[in-house]
Formats: sequence, structure tokens, C-alpha cells
Amino acid sequence: MSYYLQLLLNGVIAGSVYALFAVGLTLVYGVFRFINFSHGELITWGAYLTLMFYTPPFSWPLFLSAIPAMALTAVIGFSQDFFIYRPLRRGNPITLLIASIGLSYMLRNAVRFIWGSDLRTFDFPPARGMEFGGYYVTGIQLLMLAAAVFFLAILYLGLTRTLWGKSLRATADNLELAAIMGISMPRVSASVWILASVFAAAGGILLALDTNLEPVMGATNLIKAFAAVLLGGAGNVWGALLGGLFIGIAENLGVAFFSPGYKDLVAFALIFLLLLFRPRGLFGLLTGVR
Amino acid sequence: MDYILHVLILALIYSIFAVSLNLELGYAGLYNFGHVAFFGIGAYISALLSRAGMPVEGAMLCAMAGAGIAGGLLAVPALRVTEDYFGIATLVFAEMFRLVCLNERWLTKGPMGLPGIPRPAWIARGVDGLPVYLILTALAAAGVFLFVRRLTGSPFGRALRVIREDEHIAQAFGKNVLLLKIKTIVTGSALAGLAGTLWAHYISYISPADFTLTETILVVLCVVLGGRGTHWGPVLGAFAVIFFGEAVRFLPIPHELHRYVAPLQGMVYGGILVLIVLKMPSGMIAEHRRNGA
Repeated sequence: MSYYLQLLLNGVIAGSVYALFAVGLTLVYGVFRFINFSHGELITWGAYLTLMFYTPPFSWPLFLSAIPAMALTAVIGFSQDFFIYRPLRRGNPITLLIASIGLSYMLRNAVRFIWGSDLRTFDFPPARGMEFGGYYVTGIQLLMLAAAVFFLAILYLGLTRTLWGKSLRATADNLELAAIMGISMPRVSASVWILASVFAAAGGILLALDTNLEPVMGATNLIKAFAAVLLGGAGNVWGALLGGLFIGIAENLGVAFFSPGYKDLVAFALIFLLLLFRPRGLFGLLTGVR
Repeated sequence: MDYILHVLILALIYSIFAVSLNLELGYAGLYNFGHVAFFGIGAYISALLSRAGMPVEGAMLCAMAGAGIAGGLLAVPALRVTEDYFGIATLVFAEMFRLVCLNERWLTKGPMGLPGIPRPAWIARGVDGLPVYLILTALAAAGVFLFVRRLTGSPFGRALRVIREDEHIAQAFGKNVLLLKIKTIVTGSALAGLAGTLWAHYISYISPADFTLTETILVVLCVVLGGRGTHWGPVLGAFAVIFFGEAVRFLPIPHELHRYVAPLQGMVYGGILVLIVLKMPSGMIAEHRRNGA
């Protein structure tokens, strides 16, 4: 029994990071109505930029390295919209998909170009897990959970308690109507991209602390984020949160039943089942930011 | 000389692959981002069957059929959703295929891959067989090209273009949109399977690492660069992409910079894809649109 509870605990921690990835993806979909295939690269860039500031020549402490890394990731996120997606938005919506898939490939290879294709780590000494009543948690896992809760709490307060959040939600609900009501679209679009990038970067950093860095980390986790977004109903922020948690738990519990090599298949299979039976998402009934 | 034959064979195989994707992406407007899965399914089926002793010709036909059936099986659930979601579903399908190949070691030998895939009995092994293999590939490519040209010029092809522009209009004209799309994907997948089987028997070794997102990007690039929805576009695109990739090998690059070559090439491919969509959306050959027709 305690074995399953331990897996559940691991699942919640992994899921909270997936939720960070999924929030940005679903927000972009909610406002711009397109699935950004290069969202995964923001995860990778966030992690690698942190590594860059953490290692020589900078050698800054970890928390200090994360801040400029997230800021630079936000610059990447904002620029991809400004230079590529915005000019394409008026045309055939489907060209955006080709552009985003091309962009993701370009950004991933840029990571390989700069930092190489090998696995990298933050080189923390292997820490003994702390024991809480028979369950083991590492310090990094606690940090992951705390950071995820922190970011998601800020998001919740921002979206529900501020005028800025209100304008974002209004735009996600109906872009034209929001523009007619005088909400500044450039501001909303900048906010969405910055939010999506910072959350993706934060998730990428946490993931890299727990595991390692590799150029394909973004692409692998993008699929988890897709699954989370589909679970929650595209465009629904709270749905994406729950979806991310669900995927994390399902994956980790799945390890108890089949070979760990198939861990990633859980998210894939979920996507298929959802598309087959509930194209509008499992939590589509919840009223979220839509 | 042998090297030129080798590049030509690769370019022709990629032409078949690109033409098959163009049927879906260019004519029917189906954004299949997992087309490499069918290339891979074709390659694996014919590799496994021919290694088990089946004549290569039979294995190739089985591979096409298998890829077509797999396409149908994917199309039925994936077509319940449109556009973006179809892209996700196909991308995920390709990753699932790769994961299964990596993990089912009893069948695919996992990451080790399948070595020693034979060529047809009447084609010599090694470089001696290159001219004959080139003829075989060229005949296959010509056959696929003519078949797709015929198909897209038929009422079926015209219906596909209507679906691409506006599904509701196609429906209003009494076309069974879902069935037409399924037929398109089955055909496109079977042709991708043909490209995959030609490739597997030519290269003689396959592994899951050959069927990644990189190959998807390459083939999408072939189609988009050459010109979506045109007969010659994907062929031209495939030759351009393959020749570019091979030409890079001849650049005088110092040994210590070698690790930068592949990523840079990837950046160029991705960057070209973005640039074409931004600056030259119709590609090198623009689709001929008849007004009022």
C-alpha cells in the first residue's frame, strides 16, 4: 500500500511541474486559438539558460541564475510572437502550425549548437531523501512542489483579483469583443507570451534540477502538456492544472503495472482516448478562464 | 559516380515520401505531423518479413498494405478532431510508434535496430546493385507521381481541394467528407510505407532513431519548400533538401568544429520552414488556381 502512496506522491510532484508547462500552452490557445508547437522549447531554454548562469564564467547561485534565465526565456517567447506569429495571424491559421513546428526545430538545434547534445546536470551532490512517516521525498522534490504551488498561486491571484487578469480572461473568452471594449491587445498578447514563457521556464528549471538537461527535454514534455491541455479542455487554465496533475499521477502509478520504458506512453494513450471519446476535455464542464 | 547514384536514390525515395505527404497536406489540407510513422511502419514490416525469409517483393507489398491499414486505424479516431488537434494526434502517434519500436525488443530489437535487411534477389549487394536499385526506385517514384497526379486530377482530388478550402461547402455538395479524408490518409500512408520499405531495403539497417521528429520536419520541409498542392513541388523540394544535406558533407569544416554541423543544419531547416511560411507561403512552385472553375 505504502508503495502506491509513494508513487502517488511522486506523481503529484511530477504533475505539478506538468501543470506549469500546460498553463502557458492552454493560455496561448485560449487567446490566439492555435497550438504552439514550439512551447516545449521554452522549457528547454529556461533550463539551459539557468545552467549557463549557474556555471562558470557566471557561477551565480541557483536562485539568482533562475531569474535572468526566466527573463531571457520571456524575451524568446515574446519575440517568436512578435516576429513570426503576429504577421501570420491574419492568414490561414494552419500556416501558424508549420511555422511553430519549424521554429521549435530551429530552437532545439540552437540548444544543441550552443550547449551540445550530451546530457547535462546541475551537479548537485546526491542527496539522501528525507523520510516523512515512511515516505521519502528529496529536498529538490519539495522545492519543486513549493515552487509550483507558488507560481500557480500567483497565477490564481493575478487572474482572479486584478484588472490585468480580468482583461486576460475577457480576451480568452472573446477576442473581438474584448478589443471592442477597449482592452489593449498588444498588452494582453505580451502578457500571455511572457506568462507562458516564464511558467515554461520555471517548470523546465525544476525538472532539470530533479533529472537532467537534454535538448529534447522540451519536446518530450510538450507531449505531456498537450495531454494535460486536452484533458482540461483547450483554453481552460484550471483544467490544464488538473490535467497536469492527473498525467503526473497516472504516469507514476503506471510504473507499478508495466515496464518503465512505457512511462511516456501513458500521456500518449490518454491523448488518443480523449480525442476519441471526449474531444472537449474531461474537465470541460468546469468554468475556467474561458 | 556511386555516390551520385546513392544521392539520387535517396532523393527519389524522399520524393515518394514527400508526394505522399503532399496528398494529405497539400491537397486535402490535413496537417499530418506524424507522417514519418508510416514511413517507419513500412520499413519495419518489410524488414521483419524479409528477414524472416519472405521474398523482398512480397514483403514490400505487405509493408504498403500494413502502412495503409495503420493509416486507416489512426485516421478514424484522429479525424474526429480538426486542424491543430489532428496535428497533435498525428505527432503523438509517431512518438508512440517510436516508443513501441524501442521497447518491444523481442520483435524490433529495440534501440539496437534491425541489421542485414536483404535487397530483392535480382539486385546485387553493395555498390554493384546501385544502378538497378536506382532504376527500381525511379520506376516506383514515377509510378507514385503519375498515380497521385491522376488521383488529384480526378473528381476525388477536386473534392479534396474543396474540403481544404471549406469543409461545409463540400458537405453541402453531398460529399462524405470523413470518408474522403480517410481514403486520403490510407492512400498517403500506403505510399509513405512504400518509401519506407524502399529505404529500409536500400540502407539495409533500421532503428527507431531513424524515425524521429527530424524526419517529419524534413519531409514537411520538402513539401512546403517545393510548393504545397502541386505535382512537381514535393519532388523539387525533396531533391533540394537531400542535395543540400549531402552538399554540406563537402564543406571544408575543421575536425574540431564537426559537432556544430548537424545542429546548424537543423537550425537552417527549421529556419527555412519559418521563412517560407512568412515570405513565400506557396513555395518554389505556386499552386495553379483557376478562377471561376
